[in-house]
Amino acid sequence: MIKIENLSKIYNTGIVSVEALKNINLSIEEREFVSIMGPSGSGKSTLMNILGCLDKPTEGIYELDGESVQDMSDDELAEIRNKKIGFIFQSFNLIPRVNALKNVELPMIYAGVSAKQRKERAINALQKVGLEERMHHNPNELSGGQKQRVAIARSLVNNPSLIFADEPTGNLDTKSGNEVMSIFQQLNAEGVTIIMVTHEFDIAMHTKRMIVCRDGKIIEDKPVENQIIIKKQEVSL
Amino acid sequence: MNLLESIKVSLSAIFSNKMRSLLTMLGIIIGISSVITIVALGESSQKVIDEQFEAFGAGFAYFSINWRENYTIRDLLTSDDIDVLKSTFSDEIEAIVPSIYERGTVKSKSQKIDAGIYGGDENYIKIEKVDMIEGRYLSDEDVKGKRQVCIIDKEMALEIFGRSNVLGESLDIEIGGSPISLVIIGTYEKPKTTLQAMGGETIGNVFVPYTTLERITGNGGFYSEFEMSMGKETDIDSLTQKIIRLIEKRHGNEGENKYMVQTAEAELESINKVTGVVTLVIGAIAAISLLVGGIGVMNIMFVSVTERTREIGIRKAIGAKRKDILLQFLVESVIISGIGGIIGTIVGLSLSFVVSSIIRIPPSFSIETVIIAWLFSAGVGVFFGIYPANKASKLNPIDALRYE
Repeated sequence: MIKIENLSKIYNTGIVSVEALKNINLSIEEREFVSIMGPSGSGKSTLMNILGCLDKPTEGIYELDGESVQDMSDDELAEIRNKKIGFIFQSFNLIPRVNALKNVELPMIYAGVSAKQRKERAINALQKVGLEERMHHNPNELSGGQKQRVAIARSLVNNPSLIFADEPTGNLDTKSGNEVMSIFQQLNAEGVTIIMVTHEFDIAMHTKRMIVCRDGKIIEDKPVENQIIIKKQEVSL
Repeated sequence: MNLLESIKVSLSAIFSNKMRSLLTMLGIIIGISSVITIVALGESSQKVIDEQFEAFGAGFAYFSINWRENYTIRDLLTSDDIDVLKSTFSDEIEAIVPSIYERGTVKSKSQKIDAGIYGGDENYIKIEKVDMIEGRYLSDEDVKGKRQVCIIDKEMALEIFGRSNVLGESLDIEIGGSPISLVIIGTYEKPKTTLQAMGGETIGNVFVPYTTLERITGNGGFYSEFEMSMGKETDIDSLTQKIIRLIEKRHGNEGENKYMVQTAEAELESINKVTGVVTLVIGAIAAISLLVGGIGVMNIMFVSVTERTREIGIRKAIGAKRKDILLQFLVESVIISGIGGIIGTIVGLSLSFVVSSIIRIPPSFSIETVIIAWLFSAGVGVFFGIYPANKASKLNPIDALRYE
């Protein structure tokens, strides 16, 4: 599903140039659940931005579903993000002025889905994360865990094949964090590929494959042994 | 994202910052309303001038000796000239009389009233339009017989006699120091033109056969000026030139530029030029306030873009294209300006109605002005919104998402 070859990213600030990624090679198959770990400055966020089509590599090849992404225009990348990718962020990144339902509808607005269908699909997605009773609440009326579940619903609503999560549990308490990881495991079981950036080893233990970055290089890439599986009844969705 | 969604998103942004949106609109409201007021008042005064023009007679021309040139008695116009013109251009000329005007004093029991005394003939009513109430207008016989008759306006009759049915009464009048008594043969309604309503002329006007007036003042036969009215279909310029050539031929002073002509059309044109320039200048000053309002919109749009940088990042991350973001902010700017434009139009029209009722001119309302003003305010929204919106659309999603 994802194939990158000799991928480099150099940030040029004008005075100094920083090589954030150095000749990375990586491939991720469908239905994988991957965590990318590493200290800050290791290049993990840069890697995720490029994988998530938010940024372009300076050199190298990135193929997503067989399509070469590295030379696409901004608008073409926007379309790929809209159709194929769902994003979940540490700080939720919901739009504060509008309620949960409208937030979840947002990706479908840019996909050109009709209003009626939008509402239907948004409600379905909110049901999936157990928040349908709260759909008319604005983000400031929701707890952190609830906000993150709205964000997950939003990332799912265009049926993406790939979900990127950037420190999704970073701002959550353990219980809410567990809820989020449980949802991820369910989604993964349903066939969604998930790539998650985290610096917490415990959280990474919930995934199936762990990639560790340091100084712009992948220094470790191994399957997770003894994956922590959260049983459904352990969380109240 | 379609336009409807953009409008919904923009409206929600505008309503979430009510005070700020309102203050931004205020700039546009003031700009548009002052432009509308100025233009509407300009149109109103234009209407007043046109009305006056109509009242004075559209096909009016005034011939006179060219005062800038030396002239002799040989060049002065005569009653023969008038007769020749009358017969030569009988189809075109409605009325032609030597222009004789004197100031006089009318004595009543208690007071003296200033009066303007006009010399006329039976067709003079076509030049100086009046509505007869009682009696008759001047006749050919009055002119030929130099009869001591006159017609006066109703107010003057009421002033002097205390009643309006004054036919057959004699009017004691002093012209140039010599007293004379005239028999009243008719009364007329003083035309209520707007300029008079605004406080123009208040003295009474008396119409007397011009031959009678000549006899009273003692200078007959030669005239330095005469007035003429023409049919509506007449080509005024060519007719007046023909007349001047004919007069020059009769006086043997061709090409000496001894005569000049003023037409109501030319007068109107020069007045219109002046009012047009005045309206333009004041309108331009008002337009500056609209410009300031537009800059206000641009300023607030920049604030809005900066404030919502993170939102722009979110929208871009989940698939908004450049044009989606551009459209969202552009629509917001156009809505602010557009609503401001609508309110400004209403305020401006009300203001122009109030002002025109205060200075007593008929209010003017033209749908074109309203449409132009509104399109203009929407244009202001586009013009001043495009730069901030473009800035928003070009934001890098990663940087925008990191923005605190």
